[in-house]
Amino acid sequence: MKYTRVTDLQRSARRAFLRRAGHLGLAGVAAPWALNLAALAEASAQTVATDYKALVCVFLYGANDHGNTIVPYDLASHNAYAAIRGSIATARDSLAATALTPRAPLPAGRQMALAPELAPIKPLFDNGQLALLLNVGTLIQPTTLAQYNARSVPLPPKLFSHNDQQSVWQSSLPEGSTSGWGGRIGDLFMAGNGNATFSCVNASGNAVFMSGREAVQYQVSSAGSVAMRGLQSPLFGSAACTSALRSLVTAPHSHLMRSEYTRITSRAIAADAALTSALATAPALATPFAAGNSLAQQLAMVARIIGARQALGAKRQVFFVSLGGFDLHDFLVAQHPGLLGNVASALASFQAVMTELGVARQVTSFTASDFGRTLTSNGDGSDHGWGSHHLVMGGAVNGGRFYGQLPDVSVNGAHDVGQGRLLPTTSVDQLAATLASWMGVASTDLALVAPNIGHYTQRDLGFLSA
Amino acid sequence: MAAATALSACGGGGDGAVTPAPAPAPAAAPITDAQASRFLGQAAFGATDPLIGRVKALGYSAWLDEQLAQPIGPSRYDWMVAQGHAVEANISAFTGADNALWRKLIASPDVLRQRVALALSEIFVVSMAGLPVLWRGLLVTAYADLLETHCFASYRSLLEAVTLSPAMGVYLNMRGNQREDLATGRVPDENFAREVLQLFTIGLQELNTDGSLRGGAATETYGPDTISNLAKVFTGWDFDNATRTDFAYVKRPMLFNAARHSVAEKRFLGTTIAAGTDGRVALGMALDTIAKHANVAPFIGRQLIQRLVASHPSAAYVGRVSAVFNNNGAGQHGDLKAVIKAVLLDPEARSVDIASPSASPSPTAGKLREPVVRLVQWARTFGLASPTDLWNLGNQSDPATRLGQSPLRAPSVFNFFRPGYVPPNSALGTQGVTAPEFQITNESTVMGWANYAQTFVASGIGETRPDYSAELALATDAPALVRRVVLLLAADALPAATETLISAAVASISAATDTGKRNRVYAAIHLVLCAPDYLVQV
Repeated sequence: MKYTRVTDLQRSARRAFLRRAGHLGLAGVAAPWALNLAALAEASAQTVATDYKALVCVFLYGANDHGNTIVPYDLASHNAYAAIRGSIATARDSLAATALTPRAPLPAGRQMALAPELAPIKPLFDNGQLALLLNVGTLIQPTTLAQYNARSVPLPPKLFSHNDQQSVWQSSLPEGSTSGWGGRIGDLFMAGNGNATFSCVNASGNAVFMSGREAVQYQVSSAGSVAMRGLQSPLFGSAACTSALRSLVTAPHSHLMRSEYTRITSRAIAADAALTSALATAPALATPFAAGNSLAQQLAMVARIIGARQALGAKRQVFFVSLGGFDLHDFLVAQHPGLLGNVASALASFQAVMTELGVARQVTSFTASDFGRTLTSNGDGSDHGWGSHHLVMGGAVNGGRFYGQLPDVSVNGAHDVGQGRLLPTTSVDQLAATLASWMGVASTDLALVAPNIGHYTQRDLGFLSA
Repeated sequence: MAAATALSACGGGGDGAVTPAPAPAPAAAPITDAQASRFLGQAAFGATDPLIGRVKALGYSAWLDEQLAQPIGPSRYDWMVAQGHAVEANISAFTGADNALWRKLIASPDVLRQRVALALSEIFVVSMAGLPVLWRGLLVTAYADLLETHCFASYRSLLEAVTLSPAMGVYLNMRGNQREDLATGRVPDENFAREVLQLFTIGLQELNTDGSLRGGAATETYGPDTISNLAKVFTGWDFDNATRTDFAYVKRPMLFNAARHSVAEKRFLGTTIAAGTDGRVALGMALDTIAKHANVAPFIGRQLIQRLVASHPSAAYVGRVSAVFNNNGAGQHGDLKAVIKAVLLDPEARSVDIASPSASPSPTAGKLREPVVRLVQWARTFGLASPTDLWNLGNQSDPATRLGQSPLRAPSVFNFFRPGYVPPNSALGTQGVTAPEFQITNESTVMGWANYAQTFVASGIGETRPDYSAELALATDAPALVRRVVLLLAADALPAATETLISAAVASISAATDTGKRNRVYAAIHLVLCAPDYLVQV
């Protein structure tokens, strides 16, 4: 990684941010790490990147059924899996083409396969650009099953609740949280970006993951930014109406909601101008993205923005894309394969276009979801769980490998909190810290990003190289 | 349609006011046009000349009583069937459903019922994004009919109707939910049990009646054991004969099948249902227990305030609405008529004196109008009509080119936005102000709204067309035109300087031709629809 010392101006801007952030925290918004912030404010390494790196969070809304995504394949494990899942199990013979041969074998002769619909990304595993993270989930600190059962250690709030666990996954706090770890990574790098607006770019709406304490998530549609038509040509034939429109939509207000509305609009107008002009300079993409696949279309937009990184002056960016529909209490067998097929198609296109742009090693993508699901079946689907398996993809990934602890295929097993719900053995904070470190966040600043990382000795899961 | 006729009939009045019909029961204090318009922005989908006249004539409370007594009009379901949508080709499609939903929102005369039913559809959420069953278009319209049927009844009856509705049965998986099977390890699905508590009734934390946290700290209302016990109650129910030929199942409550019901003992929220209790009895006991929980009044009451009046109501306001929720004055709990009146007649809803130019509302008062309500308001105010009765407004979900919101099309059971949403990186966030509609307000949607409004103001949507005859009659007098639009859409909330700015801009368009007159009307309406003083109702 290439860094230069920051200028005094950048340093003072950063200190000011940390002071403000600390102040906010002490005001009660983010008390758990407020003191950390204050303590770290002056001590943290002051670096700014000169090269380019980006993270892409691919969020699978509704909680992906990990059990049918990364499937037990060795005969004994598949038998156990099929016995537990019954009618929602994937047949073993349909998994032969996607059975994985990792560079380091799994313990006890275990073997895993990708879901058949993930076949388009199997070559990435085989060529070392895709790794699998086992049993990742929200945790405050390392937690054993005995500790969980006795509630003897702090647990993440509102387990098994979609909106709260989405928020905990993205921000470490339940619904109502106002900053997420993607945004907090953005906080640390926005001063080094030519246009801070494009530090955290969300192509799928609104997610707390992308809001920093300072960094604002910029929400862009799959078709790009939207211009306000009435400002671009005389509104109903009148230049005076255009002028009035501009004044109306951008003027400050004392009412906080009106003020926020015009603040968003002003930002949208400026960002549209900057992004439209930057995208015009970016290379056309040869790699196709599937039409009618919303995730692919969002990733195509992300790829175009990455292609325009120089015109945008971007050094470090965090992106967010998503696909919904995963909460398959029913219709799991009918609907899950199609969703996974869309994920695979979108990811394969995206990694190909990163190679095309020459930034394969500079962009790391990873999946995330509300939580995992039960291994047990209700007859037609699975229920809310906790730990889940995830994908991490990119040229910097030490791929073709599994990371973390492979859980038993059992109900009431060593990591089952009931109905085959996995007690996570790797925490989201460890994942966040690993990704943040790769982006260049100093070890002393990791707690700014991942507030619970202090409870872990392993702060880098090892799946990324510089 | 009724509004269109009335508007045309009274077009041309210089200040937009009409002479009210003889008042059966004059209000105690005279209500101004602006106050009536503001009230109608909360209790209805905004103002029309006749509605302003009626509110002024009756007063707020009597107007609400009149609305509460209005009969329910013809159903969406019947319209779907009459339009020929109940045909084999639509068995797996939503064809006609958006049309049926928009049609009632825009054209049904029972404005209060329509406004409240829309609010309930954002609390008891069912979405076209998750109904993969036969006759899904009829199913979602029948669900909207059900909310409309029960929205002025008791909360307990609404909760039971929702629970047993086939649409909710599919959406949250109670339909087909089976008892546990110890041999295979199969367990009842927990989705409905979880969401009925978290979203439809009591929420996650113990509340005081004013909505504040009981004991000042977060105490969870339930845990995983509550959910797994309650899930057993919600077993054994399935569609009442859903077949390729019997589409009317969408209107029938789900049926109980004892063979699939868990007969185990169930313990939750202080109630124990003995092993072997009949499943229908168990369901009634469960819903009684849930509906009587002390959280229901503040949890649902605050959300109704948020849907109609204010994003961040005071605790005292929530407390007053809760008190009525818990007792309507005649000892009845959950009387939704009384609750709706309490929400709309509360001093905090009625207090902002917008008639006074010097009045400055609290910087956190009111709410951002949600995009669907904005569109319906424009449509009703200007008498949008569908000459073919097709109402092709379609799916409005695209955030960049349409509304970014469409009725009964929320992305999940968590609605388009959450009641507890606090906009990050903002003064609202710093002060902890909940402002749900800002969850779908972003760089795409603010631009999308301005652009889409520019289009529909001038051209209508689909085959629908607005009736601007009253406004065209004022087109040569730009200040009078803008005055009328500001009164009807924004209840006079625009500062004088802003109104002058718009008037001057409108006056820059020559009114010498019919095209020029039309452009003046379009510009006046579009500029008001883009003004933050309109977008945020106080």
